[in-house]
Amino acid sequence: MSAVAPAASPARLRLDRVAWMLLPAAPFVAVLAAWAAYWQIVRPPAATLPSILAVVQVVGDIAGDGRLGANVLASLWRLLLGASLGILTGVVAGFATGLYRGISEFLSPLVIFFNAISGIVWLPLMIGWLGIGTALAVFVIWNTVFFIVFQNTVLGVQLVPEVLEQGVRALGAGRLETLRSVTLPGALPYILSGIRSGLGFGWRALIAAELVGAPSGLGQMIFAAGDYHRSDIIIAGCLIIGVIAIAMDRWILYPIEQRTVQRWGLITDAEKEGV
Amino acid sequence: MSTAVAPSQVRLISPLGLLQKLSGLKVLLPFAVLVAIWWAIKVGAGITDEVLVSPATAFAAFVRLVTTGVLSEYASTSLRMIGACAMFSLAVGVPIGFAVGVNRYAARSCEGFLRFLQGVSGIAWLPLVIIWLGLSYKTTLAVVIYTLIVPIVFNTMIGVRTIPENYVLALRSLGAGRLRLATDVYLPGALPSIVVGLRLGMGYGWRALIAAEMLVHSGGLGDLIFSARTFNQIDRIIVGMIVIGCLYIIVDRLIVQPIENLTIARWGVLRK
Repeated sequence: MSAVAPAASPARLRLDRVAWMLLPAAPFVAVLAAWAAYWQIVRPPAATLPSILAVVQVVGDIAGDGRLGANVLASLWRLLLGASLGILTGVVAGFATGLYRGISEFLSPLVIFFNAISGIVWLPLMIGWLGIGTALAVFVIWNTVFFIVFQNTVLGVQLVPEVLEQGVRALGAGRLETLRSVTLPGALPYILSGIRSGLGFGWRALIAAELVGAPSGLGQMIFAAGDYHRSDIIIAGCLIIGVIAIAMDRWILYPIEQRTVQRWGLITDAEKEGV
Repeated sequence: MSTAVAPSQVRLISPLGLLQKLSGLKVLLPFAVLVAIWWAIKVGAGITDEVLVSPATAFAAFVRLVTTGVLSEYASTSLRMIGACAMFSLAVGVPIGFAVGVNRYAARSCEGFLRFLQGVSGIAWLPLVIIWLGLSYKTTLAVVIYTLIVPIVFNTMIGVRTIPENYVLALRSLGAGRLRLATDVYLPGALPSIVVGLRLGMGYGWRALIAAEMLVHSGGLGDLIFSARTFNQIDRIIVGMIVIGCLYIIVDRLIVQPIENLTIARWGVLRK
């Protein structure tokens, strides 16, 4: 028996590997099949559920007339602005807070409170102050990203072993040099994982903010489509939102985080698996 | 003897009480400073009530909303909603996570799909769900459950996957059935990860709830602050925001964090 198994293995192994590679596609295929079957049998009105073909066509249409590109660019531009601001202010404030205990004690109740209302909760107030448009969306993203990056930076700075800082100091490094060569690299893994999850929250907040608070963007595209019961555009928009979110995480944030973790390796194995 | 004990007890309590009072002040001080700045800006720059109300006006609005029962009505709608969604998502999401997590092929096939679902926030589906279910609480319910359940399923799955296979094999060889495996290996082993999922899901879900309430207009704190926008009632908006923040902190500190601490204390899987 056991002699037979190895003989059959090369072909089977390859088959296994192909199956293993294709597995992630299975749920998508299943959903598409269920959708197609349901649509064939029930024939729902297009406003309720369009056919797969209609969604593919509408992606082609809105991509062709430039609407899709313009909306995607508007959303990404806002995300870039808001997230850069959030990361910059979050890291700077995080360093100041992490280094001085007094500031940290004073600010932490405020941070807990404002973190609890970060993002979309500001929308009604800010519509009045900033008007509908890019500034509003950028504010909402900044607000969301800031608190996550800030809290992670504070944690990262506080967790850098003091011995390391004192060691570099004892060798004659100034305050700035210590910050640059010890504290920053030490805190970097935390900062980066903060940026990664901040962008996850930020992307959601952006779509929500655009639903009511912007004249353009993917969120607005979906919301406007809802008014005309164009569910084909809504579904197409949702799929595109998901693809962009995954692409950002996979090809930009994940590699950066991995490289930092490998280089400065302060994150424990458990955390690596958890993230 | 007993008379000798009493004074020492008193002496023990009083510095502790003082310390507690001080720490209470420390928490309140930053807010006092903030309110002072808010008031100064309001008065100093002469801003109209249409743009920013004074803290006193906001407090008056708070008192009015409380005494008329409006606030508790809206707040309880939101709280019931998030509570129901969290219960449902845990009850359904954890078993799904187990089912997917125990089989490596199932886990492999679902991981990408779950990541994708997490990328499309629940609120993005809102316009479609409105078409399907109308402008009712059902729409809000669907969106918030979607938002909550995905991280719970995902993290349960990850939690089950990281349990060393030997534990399962050991119990099996001793004759344990599937149910026994689930309660004695998968549940305790995956619990810390499930709690992480719940925490993340609550963070996403609470925001999705507020956003959905704003657009669905069928009660809830999101509806309260967004409708107040229409009538330019800045006082109501600010009160609503403060209540949303406080409720979230209370839910997080009193319910989610104790669960997390209990889990860590009991099964001590977390690092540091």
